[in-house]
Amino acid sequence: MDAEFAARQDRNPLLDAAGWRMFCFLHQHPRAPRWNYQVGDRLLAKDLPALHAYRQRIIQERPRWQPDPPDWLLAWVERLLPKVPLWRERLPAGFDPRRDWVHIPTSCREDIASRIEQLVPQNAELSRLIVYETNGTSTGHALDVPNHPAAVALNHPLLEFALSRHGVRPRFDAQHVACVNVGSEARTVTFANVFAAWNNAGFAKVNLHEASWSRDQARRFFAEVQPEFLTGDPVAFAAYADWAIDYKPMAMVSTATMLSAELKQHLEARHGCPVIDFYSTTETGPIAYAGPNGDGFSQLPPDLYLEILDPEGYPVEAGTLGEIAVSGGRNPYLPLLRYRTGDHARLDPAGNPQDPAPRLHDLHARAPVLFRAASGAPVHPLDIAYILRTQSWVQHELLQGADGSLRLTIRPGLIARIDRQALRDGFDVLFGKLPLEIIEDPQLGSNRPGGKVIAYRREQSPG
Amino acid sequence: MSGSNMQAPLLDSLTRRLAETPSVFLAEPRRGRRGQLEVAALVTDLLLTLGGDLLTPTQATAHTPRDKGERNRARLVAICCWLLHDETFRQRPELASPVETLLQSGLNELAVLIDAERFVTDLERREELVRRVLDWLGLCPAGESPHQAADRLGALDSVERERVLRATRARQEAARARQLKKQMQARQAREAAAKANREW
Repeated sequence: MDAEFAARQDRNPLLDAAGWRMFCFLHQHPRAPRWNYQVGDRLLAKDLPALHAYRQRIIQERPRWQPDPPDWLLAWVERLLPKVPLWRERLPAGFDPRRDWVHIPTSCREDIASRIEQLVPQNAELSRLIVYETNGTSTGHALDVPNHPAAVALNHPLLEFALSRHGVRPRFDAQHVACVNVGSEARTVTFANVFAAWNNAGFAKVNLHEASWSRDQARRFFAEVQPEFLTGDPVAFAAYADWAIDYKPMAMVSTATMLSAELKQHLEARHGCPVIDFYSTTETGPIAYAGPNGDGFSQLPPDLYLEILDPEGYPVEAGTLGEIAVSGGRNPYLPLLRYRTGDHARLDPAGNPQDPAPRLHDLHARAPVLFRAASGAPVHPLDIAYILRTQSWVQHELLQGADGSLRLTIRPGLIARIDRQALRDGFDVLFGKLPLEIIEDPQLGSNRPGGKVIAYRREQSPG
Repeated sequence: MSGSNMQAPLLDSLTRRLAETPSVFLAEPRRGRRGQLEVAALVTDLLLTLGGDLLTPTQATAHTPRDKGERNRARLVAICCWLLHDETFRQRPELASPVETLLQSGLNELAVLIDAERFVTDLERREELVRRVLDWLGLCPAGESPHQAADRLGALDSVERERVLRATRARQEAARARQLKKQMQARQAREAAAKANREW
């Protein structure tokens, strides 16, 4: 046991005896799903002061809208400008960010997909670098996003803040499971863990899929483990309801795609807890949360500058619909300068009585698209993304016609060829035998603002 | 271009002229519905003053920035238009053709490297721009031999300095890119760290 504990400390350096008991409780739980992944939080003692300071800062420094970039942002851009090759390439020497902010060229997912080495600051220390793979379900790029464990840990207090605004104060200690992240995909990682950022409280990522565990087992797992709150996407929460899991958490935090009002009401009525819509991406971290009175999304982090842009990258009038762009952030390997998220909203500069932070209204472009297999079974875009990820490509669009047929358009990577047979085989497994047309288009998305494409679309069947 | 029958231009008066560039020449170049300054009109005006021809529609289009990346070139062209309106150059039909090519393509490299306004606000960049323009037109500043002029321009040359810097930087950045790629592919990095929700 001691050897296992010591080995675990590689991944969870701040693991103590109580944390280890929680870890073992989850890991060895008889009703647990099949855990298929090993992961820790990699947080070190030296990271904790910044975490505690950030927790205070989020409460004390609510973001306030201002028409021009704030001083902290300009100082940050000036400090990083000589270190970030892509910025240097796009901004001539002597460029004045304060005077000419709106003329700074925007950046987008394609910059991360194809030029990450030009974005990572030249002086960044790489030894603790970690990598997240994103599937690009909404905007059509597969990405490898580098990050730092200490920066990832700062997302915890942002989530705590959103929960507290809904009156939810979970117990963050090694005697409780703080959170279970729910998925509902044919294939995904599942693991149990503890978070030092939450005093080694328990955490598990589970998958509501027959391949992972049975419905009965899942029901009993939730009842016995009793997580304080759940995170997941609307598709997963719909599966949670569908699997008739009765466990009532203190809150459900929904991310990834648009949460419909109907599903939110249904979940709230069924589980008697707030369902909190949370806006976050792997590239940016958390951006905004929906408050308890349903009045748009309030900006969460104080160290992010939000703009709403027109297709040419100029700010639109307050209250006009445009693309959300962010600058700043906490990821030391991915400094964001006017980064276009691909999501659209209207910005209301005024906060509300609960929170003075600017708010986003009509946040959209994240509506989930469910495809249908030949058998009529739903197919999640994340499962399609797993197949697409085997190929080197920049963007893709998948359209399912009303008759079920599929048309996949791929903008290939610069060097690699697309393995059409591998794609066909993968699609056959997911969809059964449906007609599939594969088109390679090197220009896909190039004529659209920010290169944005609608990655997943489905034609409605008549009637 | 001989320029032999021209009076040699005074360097100081031209750098002073740059320092005193009127704000109208520093206005935002027009692009679509944005900006106020019609750079193509400025260029046409200058070429007519020099005794040259009107711009063709294609040449005029080339002076309208298509995106933010081309904006700085248009700003630099506008500043050069002000500089070349000096009486040293005015009504010299032999300059019309080299001026046209200078404004059309001769400033491209510089515009990528240096913010245009620096050629107004910064002493060294003012001298560089004046010397570069004179060199393009085959002229020497008063009191300097061609050799001295070339030597001094070489010392100020932003493009050449950047070329040397870039060569060094390219080697460092290539090494850095390899290191980053290796680190991003490392097993430990791919195991990432747990996240309480998928998207952050």
